[in-house]
Amino acid sequence: MMFRIGIDVGGTYTDLVATDETGRTVFAKSPSTPADQSIGVMAGLEELARRLNVTRADMLAATDRLVHGTTVATNALLERKGAKVALITTEGHRDVIEMREGLKPDRYDLRSPPPAPLVPRDLRFGVKERLKADGGVLIPLDLKSLDNAIAGIRRSGATSVAVCFLHSYLNPVHELAAVERLKQALPDISISRSSDVLPQIKEYERVSTTIVNAYVEPIVRRYLTNLEARLGEAGFKGSLFVVLSHGGMAPVEEASRLAAGTVLSGPAGGMSGGRRCSDLVGIPDLVPFDMGGTSTDISLISGGQVSLSADGMLAGQRIALRSLDIASIAAGGGSIASVDASRTLRVGPESAGSVPGPACYGNGGEAATVTDANVVLGYLDATAFMGGKRPLDRAASEAAVDRIAAAMELSRVDAAAGIYRMINLNMADGIRLMTLRRGVDPRKFALLSFGGAAGLHAAEVARELEIKRIIVPTVASVLSAWGMLTSDLRYEVSRTHYGAGTRITADEVRDLFAGLEQQAAGRLRSWFNGPIAIERSAEMRYGEQIFEIDVSLDGLDWNAADLVDQIEDRFHIRHEELYTYASRGQEVVFVNARVAAIGEVARLDSDTRPAASSAACAPRSQRQAFFGGWREVPVYALDDLQPGHTLAGPAIIEAETTTVLVDTGDRVTVNALGWLDIALRGHVDT
Amino acid sequence: MSARIDPITRSVVQHRLSSIVKEMGEAMLRTSYSQILNSSRDFSLAICDTSGRLIAQADHLPVHVGALPWATLAVEERFKDVKPGDVILLNDPYYGGSHLPDLTAFVPVFDGERRLLWTIVRAHQSDIGGATHGAYNPAATEIYQEGLRVPPIKLYEAGKLRDDLLDLLALNIRNPREFRGDLAAMLGAAHLGERRLSRLFAEFGAPVVEAAVEAILDATEQQTRAVVSTWKDGVFYGEAFLDDDGHGCSDIRIAAKVTKNGSDVEVDLSDSDPQSTSFVNSSHANMQAAVAMAFAYLIDAEIPKNTGALRPLKVIAKQGTVVWADPGRPVTLCTSHPSNEIVEAIVKALSASCPERAMAGWSRRFRIAIQGEDPRTGKNFIWHLFQARPGGGASSGGDGWSSIGEWHSVGGLKFGSLEVAEVRFPLHFRTHEFRPGSGGDGQHRGGLGVSLDLVLETEKSAKGNTAGDGARHGPCGMLGGQDGKPHHYRLLSEGREPRVLRTKEVGIELRPGDCLEIRSSGGGGWGSPAKRSAEARQRDREQGLTEVATEQASS
Repeated sequence: MMFRIGIDVGGTYTDLVATDETGRTVFAKSPSTPADQSIGVMAGLEELARRLNVTRADMLAATDRLVHGTTVATNALLERKGAKVALITTEGHRDVIEMREGLKPDRYDLRSPPPAPLVPRDLRFGVKERLKADGGVLIPLDLKSLDNAIAGIRRSGATSVAVCFLHSYLNPVHELAAVERLKQALPDISISRSSDVLPQIKEYERVSTTIVNAYVEPIVRRYLTNLEARLGEAGFKGSLFVVLSHGGMAPVEEASRLAAGTVLSGPAGGMSGGRRCSDLVGIPDLVPFDMGGTSTDISLISGGQVSLSADGMLAGQRIALRSLDIASIAAGGGSIASVDASRTLRVGPESAGSVPGPACYGNGGEAATVTDANVVLGYLDATAFMGGKRPLDRAASEAAVDRIAAAMELSRVDAAAGIYRMINLNMADGIRLMTLRRGVDPRKFALLSFGGAAGLHAAEVARELEIKRIIVPTVASVLSAWGMLTSDLRYEVSRTHYGAGTRITADEVRDLFAGLEQQAAGRLRSWFNGPIAIERSAEMRYGEQIFEIDVSLDGLDWNAADLVDQIEDRFHIRHEELYTYASRGQEVVFVNARVAAIGEVARLDSDTRPAASSAACAPRSQRQAFFGGWREVPVYALDDLQPGHTLAGPAIIEAETTTVLVDTGDRVTVNALGWLDIALRGHVDT
Repeated sequence: MSARIDPITRSVVQHRLSSIVKEMGEAMLRTSYSQILNSSRDFSLAICDTSGRLIAQADHLPVHVGALPWATLAVEERFKDVKPGDVILLNDPYYGGSHLPDLTAFVPVFDGERRLLWTIVRAHQSDIGGATHGAYNPAATEIYQEGLRVPPIKLYEAGKLRDDLLDLLALNIRNPREFRGDLAAMLGAAHLGERRLSRLFAEFGAPVVEAAVEAILDATEQQTRAVVSTWKDGVFYGEAFLDDDGHGCSDIRIAAKVTKNGSDVEVDLSDSDPQSTSFVNSSHANMQAAVAMAFAYLIDAEIPKNTGALRPLKVIAKQGTVVWADPGRPVTLCTSHPSNEIVEAIVKALSASCPERAMAGWSRRFRIAIQGEDPRTGKNFIWHLFQARPGGGASSGGDGWSSIGEWHSVGGLKFGSLEVAEVRFPLHFRTHEFRPGSGGDGQHRGGLGVSLDLVLETEKSAKGNTAGDGARHGPCGMLGGQDGKPHHYRLLSEGREPRVLRTKEVGIELRPGDCLEIRSSGGGGWGSPAKRSAEARQRDREQGLTEVATEQASS
């Protein structure tokens, strides 16, 4: 027996999924251990082995690949617990990160002070050197000035250094020389070099990304190295891979080097899972909707493809590495309801988190949360929560919701229904904005509901967006970990083309891409001996524009004489798709070339379940729940539902870690995989 | 009139309205063509009703907030026969506009036969015709020299484009293709809003939406009044000065007499100086917007910025003064000057009433445009200074933001990448760093301006124009805090004496190798410097934010 294991460390739980070559899939959940995530991982592996009826050592010995999504970098950034970082940069330009391109988020808040930068000004050292815009040397690197900076870094006690000079994306000569000297002087210090991390034009994005990398690199490296050692001691002899923000995976050394590329490691697994779901159910246009306790992650799979974006921002820091286009909305089961001075109901963005959590957790939380509203409305069964392991305090929920009701002069149930409605609006708005940005119509998408809280809200969110269909996979509660098992290996490189007003030539394009392909495939080959695929794209803009758009260049005739025309044509078409118009005849500027080398790993089959003998299935119980009015509704167990079963709302479907609401008139069909396929009323085929 | 509306429905409608303007903004950002829109985001979106009440707006440029109701009234006044499918345009400052570059598009929203709302998009055009590129013309003595005037016109009539009118507009503008692209984006955003509002009517029924709107405005008013009533009552005075008008008149005074009584605030600007012959005059709508902006900054950030929030505010001004010029006067500078001074005078006056809310002076705008030939391509270029963003004012909340902007932009204007600028223009940004010592001292220090040394790498001479203010009057200190250092720009040219640049010059000769030594202003300080903590001063010294520290560092 050979296993593959996916591990997703979340804020509250560590999810684990094992599959074998027959497609048998087994899950486990174990509490996360934020101080050292590897403790929770090892405990989770123990639990997973127990569910497979083998010892942990036997399971690990029989595991050839372990794919890991980690929030170590994310948490270090959110909690500001990264390394002490110093910056070496061009003299006269040391304030780039603190200037933030002149932008400030809230226009009417003039009384909040500016955020502290990751590297304070006294740790930002200007060194005498300067490259010209074409990469030529204007002022040679001054070693005395560099040595002064190194002496300052030594005195400061910084443990990690970011090196970023202007125009180094074209010519890394000064950065390389500075890194060499730093290594000699301070052999133990960790170094992130901008021409390595993000060799692209635009200094704010490059320096910010390099600094984030320097900030999280030591902690990510320590964690991964430690985990690898523990796994080895526990008997694991296979390969450990880490999921990166772009959805591909990489070995430990590479994930450590580009640690800033791991900040969306966890959600990226969910998107891989979403794409796999899209394949399995044959729905190419899908909105993955992952609602948890504090936040909801949404993305789009359009035409079977996820999209990548370089607009990333986390905890106020700009990270311009490409990542999956995932929007995180501050809306979850723990979102707190409040009534403002104008007696307007607001839900979120504040969250009760898992500590103290919703009022019904009985951990001292008094604020009414979305989960409390769900309890009051009868959607959540207070006694059966988490399979009965963690009963909820219904009276506490009622008391919390009553406070909102009193402030708004409403009945308890109306207040709870209002909270339920507002959180759904928040999430629907997030999805609508995302589709608008991508230039697609949400109505033709299906909603993929996963994460603990999504099933309670998916139907109303979908209705709000005029979405007609919802899919709830059986792996819903561990989709990210499951999705990681379907990730490919991926290594990305990019380079900026310096044009200064002249059009790029076909030969320049071919040379640029040939160099990048060699670099990307060469690197990937050092970890992987299977077949390698290459994806090419370019970022371009019209002459006067400031935003580039990313255009896929796959499937072009690279030997054609009119190669540049073809590339520009792709750009015009993509521009029109996104922005409704193209300006043919206008100058097109070729900015960045990008190449991804992809090592495709074999997919394991997914198991299908035996079909039920008849379409009807029996509920386990009935309970009172609010569906426009109080109704006695049937409650089904997800475990009882077999392929071929159908049922109609109003109904509630419960599993150990999630609850799905089926609204009046909506219709559920259980598909061959045992997943719920819900047609919304008005769109039910009869 | 309104039926009683339940608070949940009101909350839902309010949420919808604000998400609709947000979506309009997203569409605008993604589809607009020119850099000033898609990068610098100089545009705003709003929903107004047919009586010109502001129902919802997106947080783009505060200087537009209070101006759009006046534009709506001008449209209502002009057209009594608005039909579904109409699109109305205007820019004229004497017909509800702010200044000529700000073109505004209106799309009516109907419920059946009844016309209820407007979706509105206002966007700063990169050119609007007239004597100079980009409309800023310090030499103008009448509005005709500033650009094309557009009173309310129907660009579409019942869904049919009047392409003769569009041709007329485009013909008068230097970059017609860009203009058409931006206009298409504006109309796209306005129509998106219209569709979403129609769906809102369909979902709830128009009477419910109307009742909800009344309830929203009333609730916002109550919320605002609750804040204002905590301020001290009295009659308060504040003033602020423009350096000059560029036509020989200096220290132009903006005077605010503010009467705070209970939950009402009356702002009287009548005592301000007479109008000027130059573009430093304000249009009426822009003056209203500037007063609303000051008020919006002082109430809570979370209060929706709609007509309800402005109900406690009464504005009095006199036509013929610099804040409300007679028809025909030039006004292009007004969205920055005298807007900045109007805000500053009002905030200063109210600092005696609500000291914890009054922030010290944010900066004033001092722009430079350079026109020349790029020796690498032989092509002409025009470059606008967005770098060297000046400092923001300190407040009770803490030190000011550095490199962030003016009263009228407050962190909404983005300056692009220097690397990109060096690739695209024959310019070398030798230094671009905080300007030590520029932030006004105080218990909380003003944000720092920026020191930029910009070297011209042309082979032929180029021409520069300036437009702005604030080279003599720095952003004001508040409650004992000191003023920020004013702007100080010099031209260093080999073989010539260094020359201080004035804020309103045209045709400055720039020779190859010349250096523009730009020192942008720092924000004002808040509270007495004696109260600044020893730790804060220590940190300022360590970080090289004070002048003393730089001298030590460079010795």
